[in-house]
Amino acid sequence: MSVRRHGSPRTVQVIRRLLRAYALRRVLKAVITVWIVVTATFFLVRLMPGSPVEVYIHTLISQYGFTYDEAANQAAALFAFDPNQPLLVQYLDYLRSLARGDLGQSLVSPGTPVSSILLSYLPWTLFSAGLGLFVSFVSGLFLGMLMAYRRGGLIDHVLTALGSFFQAVPNYLVAIVLIVFLGVQLGWLPVTKMRGAVSPGVQPGLTVAFVADVLYHAALPVLTYVLTTVGSWMLLMKSSTLSTLEEDYVTVARARGLSDGRIMRAYVGRNAVLPLFAQVAIAAGFVVGGSVVIERIFVYEGIGFVLLDAINRRDYPLMQGIFFVITLSVIAANLLADLLYSRLDPRIRRHPAEGDR
Amino acid sequence: MIDVQRPSCQPLLSVRDLVVQYQGASGAVQAVRGVSFDLASDESLALIGESGCGKTTLGLALLGLLPKAARIMGGQILYRTRDGRVVDVVRLSDAELRRFRWQECAMVFQGALNAFNPVLKIWDQVVDTARAHGFRDRTRIREQCERLLRLVQLDPTRVLDSYPHELSGGMRQRVMIALSLLLEPRLVIYDEPTTALDILTQRAIIEVLRSLRQELGFAMVFISHDLPLAAELADRVATMYAGRIVELADVRNLFYRPRHPYTRGLLLAVPPVSGPLTTVVSIPGSPPSLASLPAGCSFAPRCEFATDRCRREEPTLSTVAPGHWSACHHWSAVSLDRWMERLGGASHA
Ligand SMILES: Nc1ncnc2c1ncn2[C@@H]1O[C@H](COP(=O)(O)OP(=O)(O)OP(=O)(O)O)[C@@H](O)[C@H]1O
Ligand code: SF4
Ligand SMILES: [Mg+2]
Repeated sequence: MSVRRHGSPRTVQVIRRLLRAYALRRVLKAVITVWIVVTATFFLVRLMPGSPVEVYIHTLISQYGFTYDEAANQAAALFAFDPNQPLLVQYLDYLRSLARGDLGQSLVSPGTPVSSILLSYLPWTLFSAGLGLFVSFVSGLFLGMLMAYRRGGLIDHVLTALGSFFQAVPNYLVAIVLIVFLGVQLGWLPVTKMRGAVSPGVQPGLTVAFVADVLYHAALPVLTYVLTTVGSWMLLMKSSTLSTLEEDYVTVARARGLSDGRIMRAYVGRNAVLPLFAQVAIAAGFVVGGSVVIERIFVYEGIGFVLLDAINRRDYPLMQGIFFVITLSVIAANLLADLLYSRLDPRIRRHPAEGDR
Repeated sequence: MIDVQRPSCQPLLSVRDLVVQYQGASGAVQAVRGVSFDLASDESLALIGESGCGKTTLGLALLGLLPKAARIMGGQILYRTRDGRVVDVVRLSDAELRRFRWQECAMVFQGALNAFNPVLKIWDQVVDTARAHGFRDRTRIREQCERLLRLVQLDPTRVLDSYPHELSGGMRQRVMIALSLLLEPRLVIYDEPTTALDILTQRAIIEVLRSLRQELGFAMVFISHDLPLAAELADRVATMYAGRIVELADVRNLFYRPRHPYTRGLLLAVPPVSGPLTTVVSIPGSPPSLASLPAGCSFAPRCEFATDRCRREEPTLSTVAPGHWSACHHWSAVSLDRWMERLGGASHA
């Protein structure tokens, strides 16, 4: 009896401590978000009148003379669910197949699982847009700090002007300008040869030839991502650095005789980057979604390219799969940024409740 | 040049005619306008004055730590190093200045609750400080630091392993005080070290400072706008008004025989320990804007002793008694009758 009485508060305590652990709460939140999105998608796609499933069934009936059952079976195979089952069973089946990575099959090329399409195209997008974001973020940080340290100087003025300009230009315009001028007018870049994600015939593997080829094909999309986003990272980092330079602890560090380099890295830089992490998370989340137009223009065969194709051809299961991936990437990026942020800012790690102070 | 040197001592620090100017958007203001004083190597000097009179600016100048907007327009800050050389802080190179800071002269900042880097543990910031001056023996740093933390009555193990936000304001200020002594500097500037703290914590900090100075014996400049607080720690007191030192004397002389109307006003504004609060008289008016100082004595608009001469002619700091300087034309007319009365009344009660 007394053991039970002692035992249960201890369990409660353990649970409470676990919930208080910042990382765990974040992961839990991310999982719940994914579940909500997945559930909402399920009900939207299957149950709403005029849903893709219904449209597909009706198309089969009216155009190809299927009976309702035949059409429903066909749809079930494609969308990975069985419309004749009770709703709850359907829902659980759906969750189960999602967990197994089964996202149904493409309408346009029947028999091809959506997941295998994702697997072959998504890496290219993650690679090119991710590389673009990384290069842009890192150079933005350095340039921003440089501008703040040289405030009012020539470098600051030139970079501010360039940054504001490129920030204002939409990325598709930059892409088109690159193709039209560098490719067509001046003929400096073989833009047609640079299409696709790899050249035909190049064997994948960790060879110099393959890596060079991959970079060659990704160069224009990456350049476009960097040109259009580095300006905002630069300006954000500049203003964040400027306000950090005003902080007492920077003056105190100088009074303590610390070297300028140490102050710049560990005192100014580390604190100035913190507020940018929320933004880089958002940017990382939109890597997949933001690739659509650029990949179309450069004919770079990533997931954005496929998505546009799927929309044009009304390939619902494929679209749904890609949207699912976009959602996942937004949530995963936010989670990653939160965890990183908490590693960098001890105020959040230890005292989640006071974290916003 | 006036002579504010104490007889028969080789000062650790001699400031001569120091002028510091801020270059603002709306023109230049001089926050320090020709300050001179000496400080012996075992001495504690309190720097007293209303907000905005240039105390912090003077402190920062002593460390060569003025912000970009400020410039030293003239004067010297002569410092006698451990090996007996006299250097002018104003003319030190960047590298020399970096070594001078904290190793020779440390500073605890005004309301410095934000004085520590929030993303580094206290111990890492201690190591940073020591390494910047070429001390790499972590065990020795640790020992020295633990000794100092115990002197300011903190638990070394706990504090060193904490992030700044995990410590209270009073604890942070104590850590800062301990850290200021890490490299055994011979001069420490305390810029209102207790301002942001509650009364009890203030008292504790003052006690800590007093015992530290007894134990370790370093010279100290204590900046404050609170006269009684400063008097507890100071050997000598300098009153500052509108960028100038207007009176400089031993703490007893300054308290009992002030020879400047501004110092007198500050003393009369101190609430009595006992007795009715009605005896408190605050100085009328407010400090002048440094951008548009009145002609003649800058205190004249608020001074009950002021005459036409005061509004015409600026008084300079001159000797009124041995070891006592005042910048007032009518210093001999200044006395503290009402203050003495009050003290007398209090002692009868
Ligand atoms: N960064 C700055 N730029 C321009 N002017 C400044 C700057 N810092 C201080 N000043 C001016 O210099 C004057 C003296 O400032 P300072 O901080 O030295 O005063 P203080 O005596 O320390 O005041 P307080 O008791 O409020 O700390 C102020 O009146 C202010 O107008
Ligand atoms: S010089 Fe004149 S105005 Fe200035 S403090 Fe003395 S008496 Fe007052
Ligand atoms: Mg100040």
